[in-house]
Amino acid sequence: MTAVEATRATTVEAPREAPVARQPADLPVHIILFALGLVISLPIIIAIFTSFTPLSRLLADSNNIWSPPWGLQGYVRAWTATPFGRYMVNSFVQTGVITIAQVLLSILAAYAFAMFSFRGRNLMFGVVLGSLMVPFELTFIPNFVLISDLGWANTYQGLTIPFLASAFGVFLLRQFFMSLPKDLHDAAKIDGASDWYYLWRVVVPLSKGAIAALTIFSFLGAWNQYLWPLVITNEESMRTAQIGLRFFLANQERATDWSAITAGATIVMLPTLLVFLVAQKQLVKGIAMSGLKG
Amino acid sequence: MTDVAVSERTPSRAGVRLRSPRRGGAKAWLYLAPTLLILGVFVYYPIWRSLWLSLHRVAPFGSAKIFVGLDQYRDLLWGVRSAEFWDNVQVSLWFMVGTVPVGIALAVGIALLLSYPIKRLSWAHRMLIFVPVVISSAVAGVIWKWLYNPVVGHFNTWLEFVGVDGPNWLTSRTWALVSVTVAVVWRQLGFNVIIALAGLQQIDDMYFEAAKVDGATVWQRIRHVTLPMLSPTLFFLVVINVIISLQAFGEIDILTQGGPGQATENLVYSVFVDGFVGTRFQGLASAQAFLLAIMIIVVSFAQFRGFRKRVHYQ
Repeated sequence: MTAVEATRATTVEAPREAPVARQPADLPVHIILFALGLVISLPIIIAIFTSFTPLSRLLADSNNIWSPPWGLQGYVRAWTATPFGRYMVNSFVQTGVITIAQVLLSILAAYAFAMFSFRGRNLMFGVVLGSLMVPFELTFIPNFVLISDLGWANTYQGLTIPFLASAFGVFLLRQFFMSLPKDLHDAAKIDGASDWYYLWRVVVPLSKGAIAALTIFSFLGAWNQYLWPLVITNEESMRTAQIGLRFFLANQERATDWSAITAGATIVMLPTLLVFLVAQKQLVKGIAMSGLKG
Repeated sequence: MTDVAVSERTPSRAGVRLRSPRRGGAKAWLYLAPTLLILGVFVYYPIWRSLWLSLHRVAPFGSAKIFVGLDQYRDLLWGVRSAEFWDNVQVSLWFMVGTVPVGIALAVGIALLLSYPIKRLSWAHRMLIFVPVVISSAVAGVIWKWLYNPVVGHFNTWLEFVGVDGPNWLTSRTWALVSVTVAVVWRQLGFNVIIALAGLQQIDDMYFEAAKVDGATVWQRIRHVTLPMLSPTLFFLVVINVIISLQAFGEIDILTQGGPGQATENLVYSVFVDGFVGTRFQGLASAQAFLLAIMIIVVSFAQFRGFRKRVHYQ
């Protein structure tokens, strides 16, 4: 199956045989699904409401989160008690570098696999795919030793360089590039276009959907990283948002300032929620594709 | 897969051929170089390096690494550390048993509801149901830690409302592992539903139509048409979820830090503690990481063998 077909077949949307008139059974199903959705997202909703509830009201009764007065005190305390601003900047730099690099390097490698024939191509493709099977637990200690020896602990290099390539990205884009019509390539060659020109002027613009899916994947993966930033940073100024949140929780726990803690959690998840709001379709499509390839 | 790649290229070679068929050899390597370099240095080299570390021990009062052969593996498997090691393995396996079947059953159930042919599955529905997919393990951990709070947390407030005295979820030997399991199942749910739904929508409608014509009930259709047709997807979900469950770390670190005692300390957490907390026993940690990797590979292969006969392809 080509990537184009997969994309078409897996768009998680209304089923094909949409009846013209709404069936009478629709409403109960809508209600059930909505209730189900509320239950699933309830932990997130609770966290957001908690973050706006003044601490004294919260500690009196946690059900107070559902009624005003609400306020921003939790956010003020979270933002002043710990350098959340700095954490967010670190996370944006780390995530930005990883995302851009993964997309660019995946485009290049996928193009090589899809468009060139060369000795060792199948072997190298196996090498790239095989890396997906190596569990992170096996590599992170040696990587920690290596990055520390290079003096890159507590630096952006240390946070990003091990993750600049994405085997998944190479695979995803290769599938897509291979589904592009061959005539296109031949026509471009007759017109005298170089491989480089053809890649960036023809292949990439035609692959916007797949590249968007990969961008979102990489962004979420990098932003949500936990184990690596935890071990490679020990200076507060270099912590990412996730790790900052971990230590904020550890410090605040005895103080039981749950307004501030949930405010911190809300700040940390906000970028991913925004991405989800804007690009739900591409994200869902990307995940669905990864499943069908498995 | 690779065969397909080769055969798909053939037409272009047969077509307009401006250069030799073996074109672009050196150029291709240039395009590949950055990816291969990163994967080589940070994925493949570390496998070898990990093995090396697991065979060495750092000398006391120094940084010299002494070759100790398989001593650390012996310590773990039947030596001085074996009791703790097998406890960690048990936690990992319980965690797998607790998350995988429940997580997949929930996901398939929800996906079946979502695939009900209503006119339009609204954006809000999908939003609310899929949203855990973007939540990090740290944020999930923090949110559930609040829900589990023994005094003012929502669970115990609700339980109090119906007259039950809720336990201290995360420090109770009985409940800690269950509590962490629930949090992990929740975070994984969005991903699983999306995969299950995509699988359901791959199934050709004609099978349902045929079953309907034959007078099959809804349950019969699910049992005898949907689930068999969905088996490749289910297989993928099982494999992925087993691997993910064996690698759980973030939620454990936030919720319990492996406690109480070591009731929630799985193998990954033990690798982290030995390698990075207090005195760093990187050799011992690497040996455990190796055993964990072997465990993941063995379990995955066992599944491939076990499922091969039972998976139906359309």
